[in-house]
Amino acid sequence: MQPRRQPPPAPRPRGNCPGAPLLALLLLLVLRGAAAAPAGPQDPRRPQDAGLSRGLLQQAARAALHFLNFRAGSPSALRALAAVQEGRASVNPKEGCKVDLVFSTERYNSEEGEEHLGNCSARVFFKTQKPRPAINVTCTRLLGKRKRQQEDYLLYKQMKQLKTPVDVVSIPDSHGHIDPSLKPIWDLAFLGSSYVMWEKTTQFLHYYLAQLTSVKQWKTDDDEIDFDYTVLLHEFSTQEIIPCRIHLVWYPGKPLKVKYHCQELQTPEEASGTEEG
Amino acid sequence: MKSLLGTIYLLGMFIPEGLGYNRSLAQYRQEVVDQTASGWKSLETYSYNIYHTMEEIYWWMSQISEEYPEVVTQHFLGMTYEARPMYYLKISQSSNNPKKIIWMDCGIHAREWIAPAFCQWFVKEILQNYKDNSRISGFLRNLDFYVLPVLNIDGYIYSWTTDRLWRKSRSSHDNGTCFGSDLNRNFNVSWCSVGASRDCQDLTFCGMGPVSEPETKAVSSFVESEKDNILCFLTMHSYGQFILTPYGYTQNKSSNHEELIQVGQKAANALKAKYGTNYRVGSSADILYATSGSSRDWARDIGIPFSFTFELRDNGTFGFILPEDQVQPTCEETMEAMLSILDDVHAKYWPSSSARRVTSGTLVLSLLLSFACLS
Repeated sequence: MQPRRQPPPAPRPRGNCPGAPLLALLLLLVLRGAAAAPAGPQDPRRPQDAGLSRGLLQQAARAALHFLNFRAGSPSALRALAAVQEGRASVNPKEGCKVDLVFSTERYNSEEGEEHLGNCSARVFFKTQKPRPAINVTCTRLLGKRKRQQEDYLLYKQMKQLKTPVDVVSIPDSHGHIDPSLKPIWDLAFLGSSYVMWEKTTQFLHYYLAQLTSVKQWKTDDDEIDFDYTVLLHEFSTQEIIPCRIHLVWYPGKPLKVKYHCQELQTPEEASGTEEG
Repeated sequence: MKSLLGTIYLLGMFIPEGLGYNRSLAQYRQEVVDQTASGWKSLETYSYNIYHTMEEIYWWMSQISEEYPEVVTQHFLGMTYEARPMYYLKISQSSNNPKKIIWMDCGIHAREWIAPAFCQWFVKEILQNYKDNSRISGFLRNLDFYVLPVLNIDGYIYSWTTDRLWRKSRSSHDNGTCFGSDLNRNFNVSWCSVGASRDCQDLTFCGMGPVSEPETKAVSSFVESEKDNILCFLTMHSYGQFILTPYGYTQNKSSNHEELIQVGQKAANALKAKYGTNYRVGSSADILYATSGSSRDWARDIGIPFSFTFELRDNGTFGFILPEDQVQPTCEETMEAMLSILDDVHAKYWPSSSARRVTSGTLVLSLLLSFACLS
């Protein structure tokens, strides 16, 4: 491939010659057309290792985010991964794999035009052959505390106003559509699922929430929202779909309480857990 | 021949489950004009921004070949397990010089609906622009496009009628107690060695043997027969936002790995320039997970130089069930990536014609302008 050549300096304008800068631009285009622009590799350092450890960093970031979302206990403050900035991993074959990383996040429910990125640093420890990585994570604030409280309370009121049982087959529907009035249910379901997904994540397995398939019930007898539902989780490396029944109790500002039971398709033991955030 | 195809098509429509689907959840689609009970009235009102049933896609294919007879022909590839016809569209501008082939297939996994949507978008873009877009007409001078909009037809229909998250084909196993092979584990390349399962219950079930599935056989036989002329093999999936190069079955790299990465990265940059969507580029084994029996790896190993898997939007927020309002932006940005790859492939095999066109136009303009300045 030809190296890119430097363009010649722009010709000096003669009196009123408005086309001179344009001429320079055209000359530049001509030369660039003659040369190929080589695309640099993504990571100049040790491509093979970089690929492997990048996957591990992504894995750690996802786990940290599930844990963070669960701990925050706020459907308005849910975060999604923007990008992994940097990180390193050290492996102890007997014990597991420790990952230190820095990554950026954006709001899970980002509004139109909103370009807010938060930064997080985390230490994630994947235990060999065991799920539920140990996680320490801190992030810069994405949403002001008051705004978060307001939005959580708004969501809480919306949930209380919806009549139960909700006449819904699945959220989203097959075309990915979620009725705006049902969005609070989705957000709350995702919050509870974050706990489940964190607990099930290993060094090699990671999960996404694919669909909310049924809402068994929710009660708001006390002030709390008591939410019983089933989701389908998608595990990426096996491509399997895992149904989980989740029961959560939530009130704005209070720690989230989650109980769940998932159908493991092949393994004899089924996974279940219970936790107070 | 056409009436025979028509008959097969009609038969295919009425075999098992038919092609019906539950539309009760699709009320918001009423905004789309001209949709009648019998389907789409005309190609002019066919929307490329929504997901289509297999029935609609069959209709669309025949309409496209009728509307653009000078460049499009519809061809029979084979039958699916449930006896439905598989068709691909060949886009070819008649000329005296010999052509090379770009192959694109979509929907090898049933639930990845954005992929067939992109295949239709791609065809539409080529056909609507080939006459007045010099970039595309340049490609068509030397390249033919072979597009298979839905590879796993039985699975795709099943995902509309019964299980939105179905992945595999619908072949019957274990005495009718278990269904479907993962067609992208069924190709004859290091078959079932890694990243695939011998158990029909699993979603990565590799089938009873290499190329055991009729859909795999149909694609394999055809691509094999044309392999000396195929420059580029593109297989469209979702989700994850990746451009994947060979291999998945080994961490070894193909002989042209560096070149594939460069081309892939340039495509990812072109894609990102549209709406800021980030794609990662790398070999499947490096950045995704180990897989054996994939169509991309098989295509590379039979000698097709450029072989890529695209995993389209999104990153996990909605995953397979990508909201319909993202179909258009996804297709637009992916189109940029495709055009970038086509630029590179075309420039590699027909170098003088690409450079000359870019240079001569701007050279003439700059000469004219310099005369204007000097006078």
